[in-house]
Amino acid sequence: MPLLNDLTAAVAAGKRVDTVRLTQELLAAGTSPQAVVEQGLVPGMAIVGERFKKNEIFVPEMLVAARAMKEALKLLEPLLLKAGIKPKYTAIIGTVQGDLHDIGKNLISMMWRGANFAVVDLGTNVSPEKYLAAAQEHKAHIVGLSALLTTTMPAMKETVRIIKAAGLTETKIMIGGAPITQEFANDIGADGYAADAGSAVDVAKQLVGDAA
Amino acid sequence: MSSAPIKPFRPKWRGTLTDRERFNRQLHHQPVDRCFNMEFGYWDDNFKVWPMFRDHGITNNNDADIFLNFDRTGTVWSHWMFPTFPYEEISRTANTRILRNGDGLIAEVPLDGHDTIPHYLEATVKTPDDWKRVKEERFNRDHLDRKPDIAAILRDHPNDRDYPLGAWCGSMIGKARDMLTVEGLAYACYDYPEMVEDIVETSCVLVEDFLDAVLPHVKFDYGAGWEDICYKSGPLVSVGFFRDVVVPRYQRISKKLRAHGIDIWWIDCDGDVRPLIPHFLAGGVNTMFPWEVNGSGHPGESLEKWGPELRIMGGVDKMILGKGRTEIREFVHSLVPYVARGGFIPFCDHRCPPNVDPDDYLYYLNLKEELLGLRG
Repeated sequence: MPLLNDLTAAVAAGKRVDTVRLTQELLAAGTSPQAVVEQGLVPGMAIVGERFKKNEIFVPEMLVAARAMKEALKLLEPLLLKAGIKPKYTAIIGTVQGDLHDIGKNLISMMWRGANFAVVDLGTNVSPEKYLAAAQEHKAHIVGLSALLTTTMPAMKETVRIIKAAGLTETKIMIGGAPITQEFANDIGADGYAADAGSAVDVAKQLVGDAA
Repeated sequence: MSSAPIKPFRPKWRGTLTDRERFNRQLHHQPVDRCFNMEFGYWDDNFKVWPMFRDHGITNNNDADIFLNFDRTGTVWSHWMFPTFPYEEISRTANTRILRNGDGLIAEVPLDGHDTIPHYLEATVKTPDDWKRVKEERFNRDHLDRKPDIAAILRDHPNDRDYPLGAWCGSMIGKARDMLTVEGLAYACYDYPEMVEDIVETSCVLVEDFLDAVLPHVKFDYGAGWEDICYKSGPLVSVGFFRDVVVPRYQRISKKLRAHGIDIWWIDCDGDVRPLIPHFLAGGVNTMFPWEVNGSGHPGESLEKWGPELRIMGGVDKMILGKGRTEIREFVHSLVPYVARGGFIPFCDHRCPPNVDPDDYLYYLNLKEELLGLRG
């Protein structure tokens, strides 16, 4: 199906006008919304993630690709909802308490959506209690904690502590952000650490047992 | 600045060269009496919580440099946006204030005033029409206040001074990022590349005008600039755009600097700068500052990779400073061979954060003097 390949290429190149047009054409030709997502958009964002991990592209290209995907999803999500189709895995994401920054969080949210996770974005300055409540409400497979500042790293520790204490055995906690390291993730008992938005998809898939 | 003279808390490191001689020799890989002694500064919270600052009335980084008796540097600044936007509070939420800053960006900051990086909500420039308006209002190259006062500069910084002086060479892309936001710059490079190129060109012309005015009169030691166009995982601008649009403007500025004997140009750029290093070097920017280790790795790795063409200022991991003396000692020891080799001036790789124990910080300063100060 050449059109699906074209869609994949358009997303990977960040061509939002082409992405929307191709999505409309695929739907008009009878391709199911699920196929458009899984065989068109998801492979496109996978290419972006791989190129990012190889340092062939950086955040700007990723942002532009994610914008293209997001515009296509605006067309597709109502159709998927109507058909009762939802992603297999659900992820909660937010920036931890005391931290207002959201670029990294937004990027990972879009990469997870691009990997066909349902993503619940709690925004910035999220309290540990709010993370826990959202994880329980949505039966989250992944909870992602983001921080830009060294001064808000203790809030990550408290959030991990509260979620672990609640005994949500199916919920895995991932952390990331500019000052975060694998060592810190180990210290606070997080299940995973992502160094960047590219590896965040791989780590999330590993944690839910869906790694390639 | 405090009104009373600041009494230094520590003696200046002993030396046999002037600060100016030492700085220039060290960045040109020539023998020096000892390492140039400087630090980048501290978060605002450090001045409130570190006893040595709090108890001696030290409230800002300029005063801290005098208080800790570092070697002196100076910079002659030039305007980019002028006039800037008036600072104003737009609204408040339960926990935050929404402000417009001098670049016109709308940003959110905590209501309690604690030290943080603002969270930017809305860009100053989103479309070519926005840029046209802002350019007309705030980037007039003929504005009289842009003309440097040469007599005043020479009065403040005589040509026979004993410390190094930098000519401000501005920002070609970082300030564009400031007006557009990170996401806005990414989208604009895709949607309106001609507009972004015109922002870069305008920035370049303003620096060229400034250099044309000052370089014939003032004997500078280096060019200084700022970009902050990288974060932990690499550049915040596409590398192709940087190479094709920014680097040619760097080359124009570098040509002017070199025509007046200035062959050191440092740029302040946080994060992982490594993907941009070949392009910085191609543009004539040969000194990276403050070399954040958590992004760019140990400075020795890149000094070895690029050889003497690349200089680094900074490169002492702020995270290590917060870990304790054993880790500090190990890290500072690892830098000694690179200081000996030249082209490297070590200091904390950004403003030192308040989580660092002030006694450990003094230990770090003492250790630097022990390992990098004048011997004998």
